[in-house]
Amino acid sequence: LKIFPKPTALVNAAPPYGHVVCSEKWRTSSLLRGLKAGLKILFENELAVADFLLPNKVCLLYVSEGDMVAGNGFRRKLVRYRNASSSFQQLVLAERTRLSEQYFSALQKFVVLDLGLSLLPVGGQTEASQLITQIVHGEGRENPFRRRTSCRLLDSITLAMVQQIPGVGKVRAVTLMQNFPSIQEISNASPAELEPLVGQASAQQIHSFFHAHLTPGN
Amino acid sequence: EAPSMNGPPSPSGSVSILVDSRCISSGVELMTSLRQRHGANVHVCSLDSSYFIVSNRMAVERLSQSDLAAMQNRKRLVERLSSLQGMFERVCVIVEKDRSKQGEVSRPFQRTRYYDSTIAALVRAGIRLLWSDGAEESAGLLADLAKLEHRKGQGIAVPLEVKGQRRQQTLQLYQSLPWISHVHALNLLHNFSTIAQLINSSVEAIQKGGCMSRSRAEEIYRCLRYSCDSSFLLNTSKAGKNS
Repeated sequence: LKIFPKPTALVNAAPPYGHVVCSEKWRTSSLLRGLKAGLKILFENELAVADFLLPNKVCLLYVSEGDMVAGNGFRRKLVRYRNASSSFQQLVLAERTRLSEQYFSALQKFVVLDLGLSLLPVGGQTEASQLITQIVHGEGRENPFRRRTSCRLLDSITLAMVQQIPGVGKVRAVTLMQNFPSIQEISNASPAELEPLVGQASAQQIHSFFHAHLTPGN
Repeated sequence: EAPSMNGPPSPSGSVSILVDSRCISSGVELMTSLRQRHGANVHVCSLDSSYFIVSNRMAVERLSQSDLAAMQNRKRLVERLSSLQGMFERVCVIVEKDRSKQGEVSRPFQRTRYYDSTIAALVRAGIRLLWSDGAEESAGLLADLAKLEHRKGQGIAVPLEVKGQRRQQTLQLYQSLPWISHVHALNLLHNFSTIAQLINSSVEAIQKGGCMSRSRAEEIYRCLRYSCDSSFLLNTSKAGKNS
């Protein structure tokens, strides 16, 4: 198999917010007419492997109903697309229609499971233009689904964990932690050290909770 | 002492999948298919919301197209998915076509601007979307994901069922660690012989024994050594007495 040496167009900078870079072949399409309603369009002659570039490094490849019905030729295009750039998030829009329906599940396996790209079905070019418009506009808003770095309060997490020790409720947990303020310190305390705080039986129980072997299968 | 490592995967090379008990009522057909057609080793347990765990790092939500399209579900959807994003390296959503009731003419799904913007936000947040026609196809997709993850060395390799009171109590303690999913807790349970062994382990040993990312292991390491603030404890005990 021949390897394609230069991923030409995808190395272009992504367009500014509110813009879409679009390959020439779409100039007269209904998809483009739809995009013009909400976005500014820039044309690029040589968008070798992608159909559209969106702000914030998103690119798009469009798989039409015709592509899917005509056979597996478009798979090569998808592989080239995937190999072209890793700095872009690569989306694939596919026309899922009554005609292409039967091919969709195989396409999904190839695009999502084999190639690891994101696949978004659309009913046709008009729906595609609406979805693309929302992708572009979304970049101007905060994304609520984005992974955030954690900022949970370790104090309350630790208190909740200590209360998971059998026989330890809130009052005992606080008493224990006033003397041994971390889980590690509680776990490493000897029964003799725990006894004045919780009594002999509990001291023994707490110690063995941390130290008894968890033999599997019984 | 190094934690004992995972044994071979579940019998006859079948993949292991954990399912929240809330998935059952709406998913009898899917569960049957997972077990019978795909030979998956499925275990029902109580997760924190209705989702599937298909590997050490991947959770899968199953939503209907109309769930995703309904604006009133927004808050719950954000809460559920952002909590999964915190607990798992990879989050997938299987979007299932709505089933038309028998005798009812199925209406074609009308895309709205809200639906499109939700799809766009999910994709841009790195959540993987898969599209399904119904329970049968969703089961196939879940099995495919689990197999793929297994091939990448991320399959769940410990027994899914936890027997015995002590082990269940230990599992619960592990689950209260920050950003720890049920599958991480299971791995810790099986790979450390005592709780104290985990507590006194290095970040590397926690990472290996929990089959988790480095940053997650660091977080656990830090949490286990975190000294509670004395004024926090004072306030807590006061609040406890007054109530």
